[in-house]
Amino acid sequence: MRIVICVKEVLDPDAVNNYAIAGRLEIGDDGMSLTQTAIPRLMNGFDEQALEAALRIKDTGVDCSLTVVSIGEDPSKILKHCAALGADSVVAIKTDAGALDGHGVATLLLAQIEAGGGADLILCGRQASDDDQGVVPALIAERLGMPLVTFARAVEASGSSLKVTRVVPDGDEVVEVVCPAVVTVSNELGEPRYPTAAAKIKARKVKPQVTSPADLGVADGDLAPRIQMIRQFVPTVQGNCEFIDGGSPAEQADKLIARLREESLLS
Amino acid sequence: MSNAIVVCTWGEERGGLPGGAEEVLSLAGSLARSVGSDLVWLTLGAQAAGVAETAGRYGVAALHQIDDAKLADIPADVAVEALAQYCEQQSPRIVLFNQMAATRTIAPRLAARLDSAVVMGVTEVAADGDTFDITASAYGGDTRVVYRVAGAGTPVAAVWATAITAECPEAGASLAVESVAVDLSSVSERVDIVEPAKAEGPKLEDAEIIVSGGRGLGAVENYKLIRDLAEALDGMAGASRPLVDEGWVDSNHQVGLTGKITKPNLYVAVGISGASQHMAGCGAANAIAAINKDSEAAIFQYARFGIVGDALELLPELIRAARS
Repeated sequence: MRIVICVKEVLDPDAVNNYAIAGRLEIGDDGMSLTQTAIPRLMNGFDEQALEAALRIKDTGVDCSLTVVSIGEDPSKILKHCAALGADSVVAIKTDAGALDGHGVATLLLAQIEAGGGADLILCGRQASDDDQGVVPALIAERLGMPLVTFARAVEASGSSLKVTRVVPDGDEVVEVVCPAVVTVSNELGEPRYPTAAAKIKARKVKPQVTSPADLGVADGDLAPRIQMIRQFVPTVQGNCEFIDGGSPAEQADKLIARLREESLLS
Repeated sequence: MSNAIVVCTWGEERGGLPGGAEEVLSLAGSLARSVGSDLVWLTLGAQAAGVAETAGRYGVAALHQIDDAKLADIPADVAVEALAQYCEQQSPRIVLFNQMAATRTIAPRLAARLDSAVVMGVTEVAADGDTFDITASAYGGDTRVVYRVAGAGTPVAAVWATAITAECPEAGASLAVESVAVDLSSVSERVDIVEPAKAEGPKLEDAEIIVSGGRGLGAVENYKLIRDLAEALDGMAGASRPLVDEGWVDSNHQVGLTGKITKPNLYVAVGISGASQHMAGCGAANAIAAINKDSEAAIFQYARFGIVGDALELLPELIRAARS
Protein backbone atom coordinates (compact mmCIF):
# COMPACT_ATOMS: atom_id res chain seq x y z
CA MET A 1 0.00 0.00 0.00
CA ARG A 2 1.43 3.33 -1.09
CA ILE A 3 0.68 6.04 1.46
CA VAL A 4 1.46 9.68 0.72
CA ILE A 5 1.37 12.18 3.57
CA CYS A 6 1.17 15.89 2.71
CA VAL A 7 2.76 18.23 5.25
CA LYS A 8 3.12 21.97 5.57
CA GLU A 9 5.46 24.18 7.55
CA VAL A 10 3.62 26.87 9.51
CA LEU A 11 4.33 29.54 12.09
CA ASP A 12 3.93 28.02 15.56
CA PRO A 13 0.23 28.67 16.24
CA ASP A 14 0.72 28.63 20.02
CA ALA A 15 3.35 31.36 19.76
CA VAL A 16 1.07 33.40 17.48
CA ASN A 17 -1.72 32.90 19.98
CA ASN A 18 0.45 33.98 22.92
CA TYR A 19 1.24 37.23 21.10
CA ALA A 20 -2.46 37.66 20.34
CA ILE A 21 -3.53 37.06 23.94
CA ALA A 22 -0.90 39.55 25.11
CA GLY A 23 -2.26 42.08 22.59
CA ARG A 24 1.10 42.18 20.82
CA LEU A 25 0.27 40.53 17.51
CA GLU A 26 1.13 42.98 14.76
CA ILE A 27 1.02 43.10 10.98
CA GLY A 28 4.00 44.51 9.09
CA ASP A 29 4.20 47.41 6.65
CA ASP A 30 3.26 45.12 3.78
CA GLY A 31 -0.17 44.83 5.42
CA MET A 32 0.03 41.08 5.13
CA SER A 33 2.65 39.33 7.24
CA LEU A 34 3.07 39.00 10.99
CA THR A 35 5.96 41.08 12.27
CA GLN A 36 7.04 38.82 15.12
CA THR A 37 10.23 37.29 13.77
CA ALA A 38 10.73 35.30 16.97
CA ILE A 39 7.86 32.96 16.13
CA PRO A 40 9.36 29.58 15.24
CA ARG A 41 8.34 27.65 12.15
CA LEU A 42 7.31 24.06 12.61
CA MET A 43 5.36 21.25 11.07
CA ASN A 44 1.60 21.79 11.10
CA GLY A 45 0.29 19.83 14.10
CA PHE A 46 -2.56 18.18 12.21
CA ASP A 47 -0.05 17.01 9.57
CA GLU A 48 2.06 15.44 12.32
CA GLN A 49 -1.05 13.54 13.29
CA ALA A 50 -1.59 12.53 9.66
CA LEU A 51 1.92 11.04 9.65
CA GLU A 52 1.16 9.39 13.00
CA ALA A 53 -1.95 7.79 11.43
CA ALA A 54 0.27 6.39 8.63
CA LEU A 55 2.82 5.09 11.15
CA ARG A 56 0.04 3.36 13.12
CA ILE A 57 -1.06 1.60 9.91
CA LYS A 58 2.54 0.49 9.39
CA ASP A 59 2.70 -0.65 13.05
CA THR A 60 -0.16 -3.10 12.45
CA GLY A 61 2.01 -4.99 9.98
CA VAL A 62 0.39 -3.73 6.78
CA ASP A 63 2.92 -3.84 3.94
CA CYS A 64 3.17 -0.17 3.05
CA SER A 65 5.50 2.59 1.93
CA LEU A 66 5.27 6.06 3.45
CA THR A 67 6.17 9.07 1.32
CA VAL A 68 6.01 12.55 2.82
CA VAL A 69 5.66 15.53 0.47
CA SER A 70 6.01 19.19 1.35
CA ILE A 71 6.07 22.43 -0.60
CA GLY A 72 8.12 25.41 0.46
CA GLU A 73 11.34 27.29 0.29
CA ASP A 74 13.17 24.94 2.62
CA PRO A 75 11.09 22.18 4.11
CA SER A 76 14.15 20.00 4.79
CA LYS A 77 13.95 20.43 8.58
CA ILE A 78 10.44 19.06 8.88
CA LEU A 79 11.13 16.42 6.25
CA LYS A 80 14.10 15.14 8.28
CA HIS A 81 11.80 14.96 11.29
CA CYS A 82 9.41 12.84 9.19
CA ALA A 83 12.28 10.60 8.10
CA ALA A 84 13.34 10.15 11.72
CA LEU A 85 9.79 9.11 12.57
CA GLY A 86 9.80 6.40 9.91
CA ALA A 87 8.87 7.89 6.54
CA ASP A 88 10.43 5.79 3.78
CA SER A 89 10.98 8.72 1.47
CA VAL A 90 10.66 12.48 1.77
CA VAL A 91 10.11 14.88 -1.12
CA ALA A 92 10.49 18.65 -1.19
CA ILE A 93 8.78 20.61 -3.96
CA LYS A 94 10.61 23.90 -4.31
CA THR A 95 8.85 26.69 -6.08
CA ASP A 96 9.46 30.35 -6.73
CA ALA A 97 6.13 30.77 -8.49
CA GLY A 98 4.99 33.22 -5.80
CA ALA A 99 2.08 32.78 -3.45
CA LEU A 100 0.10 29.63 -4.16
CA ASP A 101 -3.56 29.19 -3.32
CA GLY A 102 -5.18 25.85 -2.49
CA HIS A 103 -5.59 24.99 -6.17
CA GLY A 104 -1.89 25.64 -6.83
CA VAL A 105 -0.83 23.53 -3.86
CA ALA A 106 -3.14 20.73 -4.98
CA THR A 107 -1.78 20.95 -8.55
CA LEU A 108 1.79 20.47 -7.34
CA LEU A 109 0.97 17.74 -4.83
CA LEU A 110 -0.97 15.67 -7.30
CA ALA A 111 1.67 16.12 -9.98
CA GLN A 112 4.22 14.77 -7.50
CA ILE A 113 1.91 11.93 -6.43
CA GLU A 114 1.45 10.91 -10.06
CA ALA A 115 5.18 11.22 -10.79
CA GLY A 116 5.87 9.02 -7.76
CA GLY A 117 3.66 6.23 -9.08
CA GLY A 118 0.35 7.19 -7.49
CA ALA A 119 -1.06 6.53 -4.04
CA ASP A 120 -3.54 4.16 -2.45
CA LEU A 121 -4.03 6.48 0.51
CA ILE A 122 -3.34 10.20 0.78
CA LEU A 123 -3.27 11.46 4.35
CA CYS A 124 -3.44 15.16 5.25
CA GLY A 125 -4.04 17.17 8.38
CA ARG A 126 -7.60 18.47 8.63
CA GLN A 127 -6.37 22.02 8.06
CA ALA A 128 -3.19 24.10 8.32
CA SER A 129 -3.05 26.07 11.54
CA ASP A 130 -1.96 29.24 9.73
CA ASP A 131 -4.75 29.89 7.21
CA ASP A 132 -7.21 27.30 8.64
CA GLN A 133 -8.52 26.75 5.11
CA GLY A 134 -8.33 22.96 4.91
CA VAL A 135 -9.31 22.88 1.24
CA VAL A 136 -6.29 21.13 -0.30
CA PRO A 137 -7.29 17.55 0.62
CA ALA A 138 -10.73 18.05 -0.95
CA LEU A 139 -9.25 19.63 -4.09
CA ILE A 140 -6.83 16.71 -4.47
CA ALA A 141 -9.61 14.16 -3.90
CA GLU A 142 -11.91 15.76 -6.44
CA ARG A 143 -9.22 16.16 -9.06
CA LEU A 144 -7.99 12.59 -8.67
CA GLY A 145 -11.55 11.27 -8.57
CA MET A 146 -10.99 9.83 -5.10
CA PRO A 147 -13.44 9.78 -2.18
CA LEU A 148 -12.63 12.04 0.78
CA VAL A 149 -13.05 11.16 4.44
CA THR A 150 -12.57 14.07 6.86
CA PHE A 151 -11.79 14.40 10.60
CA ALA A 152 -10.35 10.93 11.23
CA ARG A 153 -9.50 9.90 14.77
CA ALA A 154 -8.48 6.38 13.68
CA VAL A 155 -7.59 4.87 10.32
CA GLU A 156 -7.35 1.09 9.80
CA ALA A 157 -6.30 -0.50 6.51
CA SER A 158 -7.42 -3.97 5.53
CA GLY A 159 -6.84 -5.26 2.04
CA SER A 160 -7.85 -2.57 -0.41
CA SER A 161 -10.27 -0.80 1.91
CA LEU A 162 -10.11 1.52 4.88
CA LYS A 163 -12.12 1.69 8.06
CA VAL A 164 -12.09 5.23 9.41
CA THR A 165 -13.50 6.51 12.69
CA ARG A 166 -14.60 10.09 12.13
CA VAL A 167 -15.28 12.83 14.65
CA VAL A 168 -18.68 14.29 13.69
CA PRO A 169 -20.99 16.65 15.62
CA ASP A 170 -23.04 13.75 17.04
CA GLY A 171 -20.02 11.76 18.21
CA ASP A 172 -17.95 9.14 16.41
CA GLU A 173 -18.98 7.66 13.10
CA VAL A 174 -17.32 4.64 11.47
CA VAL A 175 -17.09 4.61 7.70
CA GLU A 176 -15.61 2.27 5.12
CA VAL A 177 -14.15 3.33 1.83
CA VAL A 178 -12.32 1.56 -0.97
CA CYS A 179 -8.82 2.76 -1.83
CA PRO A 180 -7.55 4.94 -3.37
CA ALA A 181 -8.88 7.60 -1.01
CA VAL A 182 -7.96 10.86 0.70
CA VAL A 183 -8.32 11.03 4.49
CA THR A 184 -7.88 14.10 6.70
CA VAL A 185 -6.80 13.62 10.30
CA SER A 186 -8.01 15.57 13.32
CA ASN A 187 -6.38 16.24 16.68
CA GLU A 188 -8.55 13.56 18.32
CA LEU A 189 -6.17 10.97 16.81
CA GLY A 190 -3.99 11.69 19.84
CA GLU A 191 -0.42 12.61 20.58
CA PRO A 192 2.01 11.87 17.74
CA ARG A 193 5.13 9.90 18.66
CA TYR A 194 8.63 11.34 19.07
CA PRO A 195 11.59 10.04 17.11
CA THR A 196 14.24 8.10 18.99
CA ALA A 197 17.65 9.71 19.43
CA ALA A 198 19.23 7.12 17.14
CA ALA A 199 16.64 7.72 14.42
CA LYS A 200 17.19 11.48 14.70
CA ILE A 201 20.92 11.11 14.19
CA LYS A 202 20.36 8.79 11.23
CA ALA A 203 17.84 11.19 9.71
CA ARG A 204 20.32 14.06 9.77
CA LYS A 205 21.97 12.45 6.76
CA VAL A 206 18.71 12.06 4.88
CA LYS A 207 18.59 14.27 1.83
CA PRO A 208 15.05 14.98 0.71
CA GLN A 209 14.36 14.33 -2.94
CA VAL A 210 14.07 17.85 -4.33
CA THR A 211 11.79 18.56 -7.24
CA SER A 212 10.29 21.63 -8.88
CA PRO A 213 7.17 22.56 -10.84
CA ALA A 214 9.22 22.33 -14.05
CA ASP A 215 10.45 18.82 -13.12
CA LEU A 216 6.84 17.85 -12.56
CA GLY A 217 5.69 19.34 -15.86
CA VAL A 218 3.67 22.06 -14.19
CA ALA A 219 3.77 25.44 -15.93
CA ASP A 220 3.64 28.70 -13.97
CA GLY A 221 0.29 29.43 -15.58
CA ASP A 222 -1.14 26.27 -14.01
CA LEU A 223 -0.27 27.71 -10.61
CA ALA A 224 -1.95 31.09 -11.11
CA PRO A 225 -3.91 31.66 -7.90
CA ARG A 226 -7.67 32.10 -7.96
CA ILE A 227 -7.50 33.89 -4.63
CA GLN A 228 -4.81 36.26 -3.46
CA MET A 229 -4.23 37.61 0.01
CA ILE A 230 -4.41 41.40 -0.15
CA ARG A 231 -4.48 42.19 3.54
CA GLN A 232 -4.19 40.63 6.97
CA PHE A 233 -5.32 42.28 10.20
CA VAL A 234 -5.79 41.56 13.86
CA PRO A 235 -9.48 41.80 14.77
CA THR A 236 -10.28 44.05 17.69
CA VAL A 237 -12.49 43.04 20.55
CA GLN A 238 -14.61 45.57 22.41
CA GLY A 239 -13.97 44.75 26.06
CA ASN A 240 -16.87 45.64 28.34
CA CYS A 241 -16.60 43.38 31.36
CA GLU A 242 -18.39 44.02 34.64
CA PHE A 243 -15.96 42.74 37.26
CA ILE A 244 -17.42 41.30 40.45
CA ASP A 245 -14.75 42.21 42.95
CA GLY A 246 -14.23 42.59 46.64
CA GLY A 247 -15.22 40.21 49.40
CA SER A 248 -14.68 36.52 49.91
CA PRO A 249 -15.12 33.90 47.18
CA ALA A 250 -18.52 33.10 48.74
CA GLU A 251 -19.63 36.74 48.47
CA GLN A 252 -18.34 37.01 44.89
CA ALA A 253 -20.17 33.81 43.93
CA ASP A 254 -23.44 35.08 45.47
CA LYS A 255 -23.08 38.38 43.67
CA LEU A 256 -22.34 36.80 40.28
CA ILE A 257 -25.28 34.39 40.49
CA ALA A 258 -27.54 37.29 41.57
CA ARG A 259 -26.40 39.44 38.62
CA LEU A 260 -26.93 36.59 36.15
CA ARG A 261 -30.46 36.13 37.50
CA GLU A 262 -31.17 39.86 37.29
CA GLU A 263 -30.12 39.83 33.65
CA SER A 264 -32.34 36.79 33.00
CA LEU A 265 -29.31 34.76 31.99
CA LEU A 266 -30.27 32.26 34.68
CA SER A 267 -33.73 31.25 35.78
CA MET B 1 -31.68 33.10 -12.47
CA SER B 2 -28.12 33.69 -13.53
CA ASN B 3 -25.71 35.97 -11.74
CA ALA B 4 -27.52 35.56 -8.43
CA ILE B 5 -26.00 35.42 -4.98
CA VAL B 6 -26.87 31.86 -3.94
CA VAL B 7 -27.08 30.65 -0.35
CA CYS B 8 -27.06 26.86 -0.07
CA THR B 9 -28.26 25.08 3.08
CA TRP B 10 -29.58 21.69 4.16
CA GLY B 11 -30.92 19.99 7.26
CA GLU B 12 -32.82 21.42 10.17
CA GLU B 13 -31.71 22.64 13.56
CA ARG B 14 -33.18 24.66 16.38
CA GLY B 15 -36.10 26.82 15.30
CA GLY B 16 -37.02 24.79 12.22
CA LEU B 17 -34.21 26.20 10.07
CA PRO B 18 -30.94 24.85 8.72
CA GLY B 19 -27.99 25.74 10.97
CA GLY B 20 -26.63 29.24 10.44
CA ALA B 21 -29.25 30.04 7.78
CA GLU B 22 -30.22 33.46 9.10
CA GLU B 23 -26.63 34.58 9.57
CA VAL B 24 -25.62 33.51 6.05
CA LEU B 25 -28.76 35.11 4.59
CA SER B 26 -27.91 38.37 6.40
CA LEU B 27 -24.43 38.43 4.89
CA ALA B 28 -25.66 37.34 1.45
CA GLY B 29 -28.57 39.80 1.48
CA SER B 30 -26.39 42.83 2.05
CA LEU B 31 -23.96 41.56 -0.59
CA ALA B 32 -26.83 41.11 -3.09
CA ARG B 33 -28.12 44.62 -2.40
CA SER B 34 -24.65 46.13 -2.80
CA VAL B 35 -24.17 44.61 -6.27
CA GLY B 36 -27.79 44.70 -7.43
CA SER B 37 -28.04 40.91 -7.75
CA ASP B 38 -30.90 38.66 -6.76
CA LEU B 39 -30.62 36.64 -3.59
CA VAL B 40 -31.48 32.98 -4.17
CA TRP B 41 -31.80 30.40 -1.42
CA LEU B 42 -31.16 26.81 -2.47
CA THR B 43 -31.98 23.96 -0.10
CA LEU B 44 -30.80 20.39 -0.59
CA GLY B 45 -32.97 17.46 0.45
CA ALA B 46 -36.13 17.78 2.51
CA GLN B 47 -36.79 21.43 3.26
CA ALA B 48 -36.94 22.55 6.89
CA ALA B 49 -40.31 23.83 8.13
CA GLY B 50 -39.34 27.47 8.59
CA VAL B 51 -37.54 28.05 5.28
CA ALA B 52 -40.35 29.53 3.13
CA GLU B 53 -41.33 32.12 5.75
CA THR B 54 -37.72 33.00 6.56
CA ALA B 55 -36.96 33.45 2.84
CA GLY B 56 -39.66 36.12 2.71
CA ARG B 57 -38.24 37.98 5.68
CA TYR B 58 -34.73 38.11 4.23
CA GLY B 59 -35.75 39.42 0.82
CA VAL B 60 -34.98 36.21 -1.05
CA ALA B 61 -35.98 36.55 -4.73
CA ALA B 62 -36.30 32.84 -5.43
CA LEU B 63 -36.39 29.76 -3.23
CA HIS B 64 -34.91 26.74 -4.96
CA GLN B 65 -34.96 23.15 -3.84
CA ILE B 66 -33.13 20.10 -5.08
CA ASP B 67 -34.67 17.00 -3.57
CA ASP B 68 -33.93 13.42 -4.47
CA ALA B 69 -34.04 10.19 -2.50
CA LYS B 70 -30.25 10.04 -2.84
CA LEU B 71 -29.93 13.35 -0.98
CA ALA B 72 -31.33 12.05 2.33
CA ASP B 73 -28.58 12.74 4.91
CA ILE B 74 -26.66 14.79 2.28
CA PRO B 75 -23.92 12.36 1.25
CA ALA B 76 -21.03 14.43 -0.08
CA ASP B 77 -20.57 12.71 -3.45
CA VAL B 78 -24.25 13.21 -4.30
CA ALA B 79 -24.38 16.77 -2.95
CA VAL B 80 -21.31 17.82 -4.97
CA GLU B 81 -22.80 16.36 -8.15
CA ALA B 82 -26.16 18.08 -7.52
CA LEU B 83 -24.48 21.43 -6.85
CA ALA B 84 -22.16 21.18 -9.84
CA GLN B 85 -25.15 20.62 -12.13
CA TYR B 86 -27.08 23.41 -10.43
CA CYS B 87 -24.20 25.87 -10.94
CA GLU B 88 -23.90 24.87 -14.57
CA GLN B 89 -27.62 25.54 -15.11
CA GLN B 90 -27.89 28.71 -13.05
CA SER B 91 -24.42 30.34 -13.28
CA PRO B 92 -24.54 31.95 -9.83
CA ARG B 93 -22.29 34.90 -9.12
CA ILE B 94 -21.16 33.26 -5.88
CA VAL B 95 -22.30 30.31 -3.73
CA LEU B 96 -22.32 30.76 0.03
CA PHE B 97 -22.58 27.96 2.61
CA ASN B 98 -22.78 27.84 6.35
CA GLN B 99 -19.55 26.27 7.52
CA MET B 100 -20.36 22.96 9.19
CA ALA B 101 -18.47 19.67 9.25
CA ALA B 102 -20.00 18.52 5.94
CA THR B 103 -19.24 21.87 4.28
CA ARG B 104 -15.54 21.17 4.80
CA THR B 105 -15.94 18.43 2.19
CA ILE B 106 -18.67 19.80 -0.05
CA ALA B 107 -17.52 23.42 -0.59
CA PRO B 108 -13.93 22.78 -1.75
CA ARG B 109 -14.95 19.78 -3.84
CA LEU B 110 -17.55 21.91 -5.59
CA ALA B 111 -14.87 24.53 -6.23
CA ALA B 112 -12.63 21.84 -7.74
CA ARG B 113 -15.50 20.79 -10.00
CA LEU B 114 -16.13 24.40 -11.05
CA ASP B 115 -12.39 25.17 -11.18
CA SER B 116 -13.17 28.26 -9.09
CA ALA B 117 -11.98 30.05 -5.99
CA VAL B 118 -12.87 28.72 -2.55
CA VAL B 119 -12.58 30.41 0.84
CA MET B 120 -13.50 28.84 4.20
CA GLY B 121 -14.11 30.52 7.56
CA VAL B 122 -15.61 33.60 5.91
CA THR B 123 -16.67 36.56 8.05
CA GLU B 124 -17.32 39.23 5.38
CA VAL B 125 -17.81 39.47 1.63
CA ALA B 126 -17.56 42.69 -0.36
CA ALA B 127 -17.95 43.02 -4.10
CA ASP B 128 -16.89 45.55 -6.70
CA GLY B 129 -17.75 44.69 -10.29
CA ASP B 130 -16.35 41.24 -11.01
CA THR B 131 -14.10 41.34 -7.97
CA PHE B 132 -14.90 39.90 -4.56
CA ASP B 133 -12.94 40.72 -1.42
CA ILE B 134 -13.57 37.85 0.97
CA THR B 135 -12.46 38.13 4.58
CA ALA B 136 -11.76 34.91 6.45
CA SER B 137 -10.51 33.88 9.84
CA ALA B 138 -6.89 32.66 10.14
CA TYR B 139 -4.65 31.43 12.97
CA GLY B 140 -7.65 30.07 14.84
CA GLY B 141 -9.26 33.51 14.82
CA ASP B 142 -6.18 35.51 15.89
CA THR B 143 -6.12 37.26 12.51
CA ARG B 144 -8.36 37.92 9.55
CA VAL B 145 -7.13 37.61 5.98
CA VAL B 146 -8.74 39.44 3.07
CA TYR B 147 -8.59 37.42 -0.13
CA ARG B 148 -9.24 38.99 -3.52
CA VAL B 149 -11.10 36.87 -6.05
CA ALA B 150 -11.09 38.24 -9.58
CA GLY B 151 -12.38 37.10 -12.92
CA ALA B 152 -15.11 34.85 -14.16
CA GLY B 153 -16.40 31.68 -12.56
CA THR B 154 -18.44 31.02 -9.46
CA PRO B 155 -16.49 31.43 -6.22
CA VAL B 156 -17.50 29.23 -3.31
CA ALA B 157 -17.42 30.57 0.25
CA ALA B 158 -18.17 28.86 3.57
CA VAL B 159 -19.40 31.41 6.08
CA TRP B 160 -18.48 31.21 9.74
CA ALA B 161 -22.04 31.89 10.84
CA THR B 162 -21.35 32.30 14.54
CA ALA B 163 -19.10 35.28 13.75
CA ILE B 164 -22.10 37.07 12.23
CA THR B 165 -25.14 38.59 13.89
CA ALA B 166 -28.35 37.85 12.01
CA GLU B 167 -30.46 40.87 11.00
CA CYS B 168 -33.75 39.33 12.17
CA PRO B 169 -35.94 41.39 9.80
CA GLU B 170 -39.71 41.79 10.14
CA ALA B 171 -42.11 39.24 8.70
CA GLY B 172 -42.53 39.13 4.92
CA ALA B 173 -44.61 37.03 2.57
CA SER B 174 -43.67 33.34 2.38
CA LEU B 175 -42.04 32.24 -0.85
CA ALA B 176 -43.18 29.46 -3.10
CA VAL B 177 -40.61 26.72 -3.58
CA GLU B 178 -39.28 26.10 -7.09
CA SER B 179 -37.96 22.63 -7.65
CA VAL B 180 -34.75 22.50 -9.68
CA ALA B 181 -34.19 19.28 -11.59
CA VAL B 182 -30.78 17.64 -11.69
CA ASP B 183 -29.84 14.15 -12.84
CA LEU B 184 -28.30 12.13 -10.03
CA SER B 185 -28.79 8.72 -11.65
CA SER B 186 -25.10 8.14 -12.29
CA VAL B 187 -23.72 9.16 -8.90
CA SER B 188 -23.44 6.90 -5.89
CA GLU B 189 -21.87 7.61 -2.54
CA ARG B 190 -18.45 6.05 -2.12
CA VAL B 191 -18.11 6.54 1.63
CA ASP B 192 -20.15 3.86 3.40
CA ILE B 193 -21.31 4.62 6.95
CA VAL B 194 -21.06 1.31 8.82
CA GLU B 195 -21.65 2.69 12.34
CA PRO B 196 -23.53 5.97 12.52
CA ALA B 197 -22.69 8.38 15.33
CA LYS B 198 -24.96 7.90 18.28
CA ALA B 199 -26.13 11.26 19.53
CA GLU B 200 -26.09 10.51 23.23
CA GLY B 201 -28.39 12.87 25.04
CA PRO B 202 -28.49 16.60 24.45
CA LYS B 203 -25.88 18.32 22.29
CA LEU B 204 -23.63 21.17 23.36
CA GLU B 205 -24.63 23.00 20.18
CA ASP B 206 -28.22 23.16 21.44
CA ALA B 207 -27.46 24.03 25.08
CA GLU B 208 -28.83 27.24 26.55
CA ILE B 209 -26.27 27.27 29.37
CA ILE B 210 -22.73 25.90 29.14
CA VAL B 211 -20.09 25.78 31.86
CA SER B 212 -16.63 25.13 30.43
CA GLY B 213 -13.32 24.44 32.10
CA GLY B 214 -9.80 25.01 30.86
CA ARG B 215 -6.20 24.53 31.86
CA GLY B 216 -6.72 26.82 34.87
CA LEU B 217 -8.45 23.93 36.66
CA GLY B 218 -5.00 22.53 37.32
CA ALA B 219 -5.82 18.83 37.64
CA VAL B 220 -8.16 16.33 36.02
CA GLU B 221 -10.14 15.62 39.21
CA ASN B 222 -11.18 19.28 39.39
CA TYR B 223 -13.22 18.94 36.21
CA LYS B 224 -15.93 17.36 38.40
CA LEU B 225 -16.59 20.88 39.74
CA ILE B 226 -17.39 22.00 36.17
CA ARG B 227 -19.87 19.15 35.79
CA ASP B 228 -21.42 19.98 39.18
CA LEU B 229 -21.79 23.67 38.36
CA ALA B 230 -23.26 22.83 34.96
CA GLU B 231 -25.78 20.57 36.66
CA ALA B 232 -26.62 23.18 39.30
CA LEU B 233 -27.27 25.75 36.54
CA ASP B 234 -29.28 23.23 34.52
CA GLY B 235 -26.72 23.48 31.73
CA MET B 236 -24.09 21.33 30.05
CA ALA B 237 -20.37 20.92 30.64
CA GLY B 238 -17.80 21.92 28.04
CA ALA B 239 -14.03 22.15 27.87
CA SER B 240 -11.23 23.89 26.05
CA ARG B 241 -9.02 21.92 23.69
CA PRO B 242 -6.03 21.43 26.04
CA LEU B 243 -8.25 19.37 28.40
CA VAL B 244 -9.34 17.17 25.52
CA ASP B 245 -5.78 16.81 24.22
CA GLU B 246 -4.66 15.85 27.76
CA GLY B 247 -7.35 13.18 27.81
CA TRP B 248 -9.19 14.69 30.81
CA VAL B 249 -12.44 15.05 28.91
CA ASP B 250 -13.99 13.35 25.90
CA SER B 251 -13.81 15.30 22.63
CA ASN B 252 -17.61 15.55 22.62
CA HIS B 253 -17.17 18.33 25.16
CA GLN B 254 -14.61 20.34 23.21
CA VAL B 255 -15.71 23.88 22.46
CA GLY B 256 -13.74 25.75 19.81
CA LEU B 257 -12.75 26.06 16.20
CA THR B 258 -11.93 22.36 15.90
CA GLY B 259 -14.68 21.30 18.32
CA LYS B 260 -18.24 22.34 18.97
CA ILE B 261 -19.44 25.69 17.72
CA THR B 262 -21.95 26.71 20.39
CA LYS B 263 -24.37 29.56 20.81
CA PRO B 264 -25.76 29.42 24.35
CA ASN B 265 -27.61 32.15 26.21
CA LEU B 266 -24.97 31.98 28.96
CA TYR B 267 -21.42 30.64 28.69
CA VAL B 268 -19.45 30.32 31.91
CA ALA B 269 -15.71 30.04 31.19
CA VAL B 270 -13.62 28.83 34.12
CA GLY B 271 -9.83 28.82 33.92
CA ILE B 272 -9.96 29.51 30.18
CA SER B 273 -7.56 32.12 28.82
CA GLY B 274 -9.72 33.15 25.88
CA ALA B 275 -7.60 31.98 22.94
CA SER B 276 -9.23 32.82 19.61
CA GLN B 277 -9.36 29.10 18.83
CA HIS B 278 -11.67 28.64 21.82
CA MET B 279 -13.66 31.85 21.31
CA ALA B 280 -14.55 30.61 17.81
CA GLY B 281 -16.70 28.04 19.58
CA CYS B 282 -18.37 30.28 22.16
CA GLY B 283 -18.01 33.89 21.00
CA ALA B 284 -21.59 33.86 19.73
CA ALA B 285 -22.96 33.30 23.24
CA ASN B 286 -25.46 35.92 24.35
CA ALA B 287 -23.32 36.52 27.46
CA ILE B 288 -20.07 35.13 28.82
CA ALA B 289 -19.18 35.01 32.51
CA ALA B 290 -15.47 34.43 33.05
CA ILE B 291 -13.45 33.27 36.03
CA ASN B 292 -9.70 33.49 35.74
CA LYS B 293 -6.91 34.23 38.16
CA ASP B 294 -5.13 36.43 35.61
CA SER B 295 -6.87 39.81 35.38
CA GLU B 296 -5.19 40.34 31.99
CA ALA B 297 -6.62 37.14 30.48
CA ALA B 298 -8.10 37.71 27.04
CA ILE B 299 -11.36 36.05 28.10
CA PHE B 300 -12.29 39.22 30.04
CA GLN B 301 -12.37 41.17 26.77
CA TYR B 302 -15.21 38.96 25.60
CA ALA B 303 -16.94 38.56 28.96
CA ARG B 304 -19.92 40.53 30.21
CA PHE B 305 -19.21 39.44 33.82
CA GLY B 306 -15.88 38.54 35.31
CA ILE B 307 -14.34 37.41 38.56
CA VAL B 308 -10.58 37.54 39.00
CA GLY B 309 -9.86 34.70 41.37
CA ASP B 310 -9.01 31.09 42.06
CA ALA B 311 -11.34 28.75 40.19
CA LEU B 312 -11.01 26.05 42.83
CA GLU B 313 -12.12 28.41 45.61
CA LEU B 314 -14.91 29.95 43.54
CA LEU B 315 -16.43 26.85 41.96
CA PRO B 316 -17.76 25.25 45.20
CA GLU B 317 -19.22 28.63 46.20
CA LEU B 318 -20.86 29.09 42.78
CA ILE B 319 -22.37 25.58 43.00
CA ARG B 320 -23.78 26.43 46.44
CA ALA B 321 -25.10 29.83 45.28
CA ALA B 322 -26.65 28.32 42.13
CA ARG B 323 -28.48 25.69 44.17
CA SER B 324 -29.88 28.18 46.65
